[in-house]
Amino acid sequence: MIEALLQLLLNGAASGGVYALVALGYTLVFSVLGVINFAQGALFSIGGYLTYLLMGGRIGVNGALPGWGLPGGLPFALALLLAAAGSGLISLLVERVAFAPLRRRGAEPLLALITSLGAGVVLVNLLQLLMGAEGYAFPHGADALAGLPDVLVIGGARIRTIQVLLLLISAAAVLALSLWLERSKGGRALRAVAEDATTAQLLGINSAAMVRLAFFLSGALAGLGGGLIGVSVSLPGPYFGIGYGLKGLAVLVLGGLGSVPGAIAGGLLMGLAEALVPSDASGWRDALAFAILFVVLLLRPSGLLGRRTVEKV
Amino acid sequence: MTTAPPPSTVISPSDLRRRGALRLAALLAAGIGALAWLGRNTDPAAKPLAAGPISLGAAIAFTGNANLYGQDQRMGLAVAERWAQQSGTPARPVRLQLEDGASDEPSAIAAFNLLIRQGVIALIGPTLSQQAFAADPIAQRQGVPVVAPSNTAKGIPEIGHFISRVSAQSSVIAPLSLDEALRRDPAIKRVAVFYAQDDAYSTAETAIFQKALAARGLPPVTVQRTQLADNDFQTPITSALQLKPQLVVLSVQAVAGGNLIRQLRELGYRGQIVVGNGLNTPNIYPICQRWCDGILIAQAYSPELNTPINRRFQQLFRQAHGDRPPPQITAQAFTAYQVLFEAIQRLQRKGGLSGVTLGQARANLMAELLSGTYDTPLGPIGFSPAGEVLQDRFYVAEVRMDPGGRDGRFALVRERRLQESQP
Repeated sequence: MIEALLQLLLNGAASGGVYALVALGYTLVFSVLGVINFAQGALFSIGGYLTYLLMGGRIGVNGALPGWGLPGGLPFALALLLAAAGSGLISLLVERVAFAPLRRRGAEPLLALITSLGAGVVLVNLLQLLMGAEGYAFPHGADALAGLPDVLVIGGARIRTIQVLLLLISAAAVLALSLWLERSKGGRALRAVAEDATTAQLLGINSAAMVRLAFFLSGALAGLGGGLIGVSVSLPGPYFGIGYGLKGLAVLVLGGLGSVPGAIAGGLLMGLAEALVPSDASGWRDALAFAILFVVLLLRPSGLLGRRTVEKV
Repeated sequence: MTTAPPPSTVISPSDLRRRGALRLAALLAAGIGALAWLGRNTDPAAKPLAAGPISLGAAIAFTGNANLYGQDQRMGLAVAERWAQQSGTPARPVRLQLEDGASDEPSAIAAFNLLIRQGVIALIGPTLSQQAFAADPIAQRQGVPVVAPSNTAKGIPEIGHFISRVSAQSSVIAPLSLDEALRRDPAIKRVAVFYAQDDAYSTAETAIFQKALAARGLPPVTVQRTQLADNDFQTPITSALQLKPQLVVLSVQAVAGGNLIRQLRELGYRGQIVVGNGLNTPNIYPICQRWCDGILIAQAYSPELNTPINRRFQQLFRQAHGDRPPPQITAQAFTAYQVLFEAIQRLQRKGGLSGVTLGQARANLMAELLSGTYDTPLGPIGFSPAGEVLQDRFYVAEVRMDPGGRDGRFALVRERRLQESQP
């Protein structure tokens, strides 16, 4: 019984950690601009593919450059970090193309949903053009991870080592980001812009730079999640990030729009809710996860840890 | 002198509404009439078959999850076009129009509709059985022959008499690999079954596997249901492994299957694995890598079949795609084109394409297609009157991965001839 419970907790925490990463990416952009970046799922996919290429993976036969790959291969940790940075840079490009022109013209924030969705679709299709639709697994599979065993037995529960690593790295990334936001000068500046961009500008904070920083960090988080999931369950095709992006969106709403602790709590709750569904009823897994979202929003429309906004007349 | 008051010009609101409704109804009727007239006049089936090349349409998955199969099919169609070009000058050339049928039902329907409106004589596709159940009725209603290259679910040709396939249905093939697993280990008693419950192919195939297992006195100890989009199988695998299975049988699509195999092995399963047709592509090798080694699969195609047409097919394939054997799905796509091409040539020689409308040409082609036998890379095939493929050569293969675990091959283990499905 305890073994089964432990198994369930481990399964839920592993996927919940990744959901939290994706939701945190949405949160950063939402808190600064008040809009949702629908290209987040595509950035998740890009992170996975970049990690694969940096580790020495080669493009498959259906890609634009069959058999091409970078000479040599980087260790997993370094490849993951560089891929996250690469996703962050592409996220900056998304900001420049899909968000900045609308902001300059004072367009409705709703329009940014469509432009970011368009940017996401273009990115995924470019990825498909370059890499083909075939699945990829990382060059050395789980063996690349410092020679650790494939599976760990914790209190009788079996879990793949990579999933434990995935949870630990997600937790470390979320913790580091939370600390940076709370304690560093840059983090405080970002929060000030999120609170009120005009006032922050008057106080000498470069709001435009902070917006770019938010996009970079959100893209990097998505890329990190993509790389971690990629090494855990392979890269099933360029569209794989879209599903995680949608789940991250649900977690964002569940935790409370714009709330960093909410994104973490929402991610873990969503992961555990999914793990609770027995495999015989796996068809109901998404239904259960979204039913929880529905109930939470009925009881707390601002999400688990979101702040209630007061409409001033 | 008094004058009579003028008739009242005031119209009551109810009259106004009635007149408005009448005008609207008349306008709508005129609009519908105009559309019907336009539609009748633009229906390509009613027009005489145009001179010039004959168009074949193919709606296969270039995008979405099934793209993995679509890319294999695209290679097969491209090779078939080259084969057709080199097989002597036909009286009228055949031109292939490709359309993205994507991986969902609405996209397959849209692609079929578009190709039919463009006046193709027959269709190849769609990629997934799930899509075929939605898109084939469109072709059936409009009298357009369809040859499915990769739909293996039960009930595809039964959609209508214009629907046929060159992909043998799972019930014929699937049990062969089970027999091989049981031949290798007759002591197997505990079998775990996994399938994707939201996919027509997977649900149809697992029913066949489960029926075959029951017939061999091996009802599954557990049936684990997954979903098409699943990649993390920790929960179903750990549930199944608690029951200590000696054989695992999978009916899932390629990438999910590759992941499932890898995670099964990583979580400690060491027994035999039998997989269904969804994993009949070398695209699984990069996913499950060294963990693919040893899985058993029944196939409708073997690169090792030594016939002139298979050698020619492989030669053309290798010229385009390097020194590797063509996958089954590529061979089936080639075959779908080949049977249509040969039926068109025969029909032309008989005059069945002269002085007829496109609709009549389509009907003539369907009759010709079903009446012929074909020497294909799959072996000799024909069709039942209902459009079901008649093929008697099947194979059981074992995946053997290279030492590095990056590439592998489907090594032929056993060839089976089924008398009951001779062409």
